[in-house]
Amino acid sequence: MIRGEHIRYSYKEYDDEGRVSGSFPALRNVNVRVTPGEFVAILGPNGSGKSTLARHMNALLLPDEGTMYVGGLDTRPAENLLEVRRTAGMVFQNPDNQIVAGIVEEDVAFGPENLGVPTEEIRERVDRSLEAVSMTEFREKSPNRLSGGQKQRVAIAGVLAMKPGCIVMDEPTAMLDPAGRKEILATIRQLHAEGISIILITHHMEEALAADRVIVVSEGRIVMDGTPAEVFTQVDRVKELRLDVPPAAELAHELRLAGAALPERVLTNEAAAEALASAVKASKGSSAESPAAEAPAAANAAAAAGAAETAEAPQPDHKKTLRAEHLTFKYHPDTPMETVALDDVSVEIGEGEFVGIIGHTGSGKSTLIQHLNGLIRPTSGDLLFCGESIYQKGYSLKDLRGQVGLVFQYPEHQLFMETVLEDVCFGPKNLGLSDEEAEARAREALAAVGMAEETFDRSPFDLSGGQKRRAAIAGVLAMQPSFLILDEPTAGLDPAGRDEILHELRRLHDEKGTTIILVSHSMEDMAEYTKRLLVMDHGKLVFDANTREVFSHRAELEAIGLAVPEVTVIAELLRERGVDVPADLLTVPEAKDAVLRAMGMDPAPDGAVMDGKEAGL
Amino acid sequence: MKEITLGQYYPSGSLIHRLDPRVKLLATLIYIVTLFICPKWQGVFISALWLVTIIRISKVPFLYMARQLKVVIVVLIIASVFNLFLTDGEALVQLGRFSITKEGIWQAFFIAVRLIMLVMGTSLLTFTSTPNELTDGMETGLRFLKKIRVPVHEVAMMMSIALRFIPILVEEADKIMKAQKARGADFETGNIFRKAKNLIPLLVPLFVASFRRADDLALAMDARCYHGGEGRTKLHPLVYTRADKIAYVILFAYLAVIILIRIFL
Repeated sequence: MIRGEHIRYSYKEYDDEGRVSGSFPALRNVNVRVTPGEFVAILGPNGSGKSTLARHMNALLLPDEGTMYVGGLDTRPAENLLEVRRTAGMVFQNPDNQIVAGIVEEDVAFGPENLGVPTEEIRERVDRSLEAVSMTEFREKSPNRLSGGQKQRVAIAGVLAMKPGCIVMDEPTAMLDPAGRKEILATIRQLHAEGISIILITHHMEEALAADRVIVVSEGRIVMDGTPAEVFTQVDRVKELRLDVPPAAELAHELRLAGAALPERVLTNEAAAEALASAVKASKGSSAESPAAEAPAAANAAAAAGAAETAEAPQPDHKKTLRAEHLTFKYHPDTPMETVALDDVSVEIGEGEFVGIIGHTGSGKSTLIQHLNGLIRPTSGDLLFCGESIYQKGYSLKDLRGQVGLVFQYPEHQLFMETVLEDVCFGPKNLGLSDEEAEARAREALAAVGMAEETFDRSPFDLSGGQKRRAAIAGVLAMQPSFLILDEPTAGLDPAGRDEILHELRRLHDEKGTTIILVSHSMEDMAEYTKRLLVMDHGKLVFDANTREVFSHRAELEAIGLAVPEVTVIAELLRERGVDVPADLLTVPEAKDAVLRAMGMDPAPDGAVMDGKEAGL
Repeated sequence: MKEITLGQYYPSGSLIHRLDPRVKLLATLIYIVTLFICPKWQGVFISALWLVTIIRISKVPFLYMARQLKVVIVVLIIASVFNLFLTDGEALVQLGRFSITKEGIWQAFFIAVRLIMLVMGTSLLTFTSTPNELTDGMETGLRFLKKIRVPVHEVAMMMSIALRFIPILVEEADKIMKAQKARGADFETGNIFRKAKNLIPLLVPLFVASFRRADDLALAMDARCYHGGEGRTKLHPLVYTRADKIAYVILFAYLAVIILIRIFL
């Protein structure tokens, strides 16, 4: 279906006279083959060349050297162009920016219209394509009224209507919430079952695990190529490439390092539970004197002091508080279109906390955090900062916003100054600080998010995606807020970029005592970083408790479209198999210790791993 | 913010709504022409009758339509006042250098009536056709201009893309504004120059976003084999029905009547 041979490609920079002044190699000698009906996932950190490779499959880019064949056709000759693009349809990342028409069915028809397909047949193809992605009922709707997942399904239908042999998807789920991601994954599986080849670029493990084959791209080269099991069980290698592995594989890998006898290819939660359970049974058989009675108590103690617990933040003398009292917010109040976005939410957040907020799209999370720094006024209820209502006359919202910083989703979209430093100075200057003071704060904030000094004078628009994100976060941080609210600060970043940002937030919390309020869709991140978790559903605050406690309510969370961390699922599966581990395990290190204990091995801090290694030698 | 739509389509599903947009476009054009070529009261009377009849058939509530006039009320008053004072003729009241004449009153009334009819007539077009129908109608109806190298397809494509993206950019602007406010930006206070300067943190990101979206969209259109209007087919090609043909006959009859009034009365 797709065959690339020795493909090289460089992005070129041109000077004013049109001469090549710079060249950035993106693909260096790539050989790739996708057979008809195959489902291939392409992984790689940002900037590795995955998108460049995808664009070669659709003749959006032509190789500098080497040849790309799509359905047997060379992509280079102009006369092959339309046939190549018809054969390898492409779905892009941003749902909004690839829908051309103002009505769903007309957008689906756009491809066939361009190909000159007769009207009668277009109609038929539109019907069938919308059917295939279960969007028939929306055919006459405006795309603006659809959810992200629905828009992406429309985009897929638009490609299907061209009757492609394969579909190339360039991070189609990066901008979607978990529900949207599920929709797209289900659609992909179904198309794959119908015999269409799928090439899926993604950062999400559960999507890569569904593929027949996984290709890892790094620095313009294909560095790994194999079944998901073959690739993801090389945990160290994959992590080195700045990528994630499934928690099950990571747990098995960690335990193997600690000396547990486990099979090599553990990938799914079920497989991990199965393997661990039999390993535990085996070890119990061999060491009968294992202090089984002590285990549960010890495990609970470990859980209590587990990895989720970060160092206590420095405690200020006078604790600042942010308190919402019966906040209710309605869109279009007292009209037939009235919708309740927030329904009687009361919550108090104190200085020094690390709080997570979860809830599916439309649950009211965003509305809630916009109240917290006075960007919107509630229909009823009150918000108190340090005991004072922010809605009272003469209250300075500007000062409040200096104290309660809010970083929106995709904050890099607000960058606007000529240099990074000037942009970060914008906030402090608005607070009325002198230029010198603003600059000092800006430098400090940029350093805090790990930006190198040499980037300060560059244009923010020339930075990489991850750097732009940091610069934007620094823009809020420079106001030195004591409360920092972040709305999905890691959306769209690759796994390593995500970890770096979250680590920096944790450092900020631990060292400066900044309160962090983190909105995220990732249960893993919540488990690892937050201490307290707020759960929103339909505008209501349904849970407000410590993170471990909230994640013990798996059934309730799943009922409102949320989930628990993978590790918690593994713990549950283990308990079903009679292994004595605590039910409230959240992270891989915790689970590792608990399982080791159940095996009668001493998980003592770090030393155990070292000893294990030495014993192995 | 998602509720923003251009024009003000009023979906009542009437006969007028179902007419081919080309018919409605030509009808609007002819209607405007008739208002200007026939400054006689008989002509205006016939045009008014024509307008009222069509509004009735379209089932768009009369008051709902009249609300459109709010936008032009200032123009309306200015135009009337100028005509009132500046028309020569038999003076009724003398106010310093200006005088209100009998002809002036007649002129002012007349101009007001015709302006009202103009606004209501043209807005009827957007009440009864969606923006997409209008772009389609324009593209197909003006196809003959291609011969003289007017890029009809391209203009129509640009219009439909603009219609699709305006609500998205409005939403984006709202988001950027909030984000900058969270950084202490002030969009409300200060004099007009200050306010204009304060808009920079909104406008720069908005432009950047538009370019980014334009780039993405161009790529997506390329990927879906877009190569201009040549050889394109349509999901909903415009085809004249019996009703459209009858509408054309009635339309030209109306035009003929107005021309006759202009010549003979």
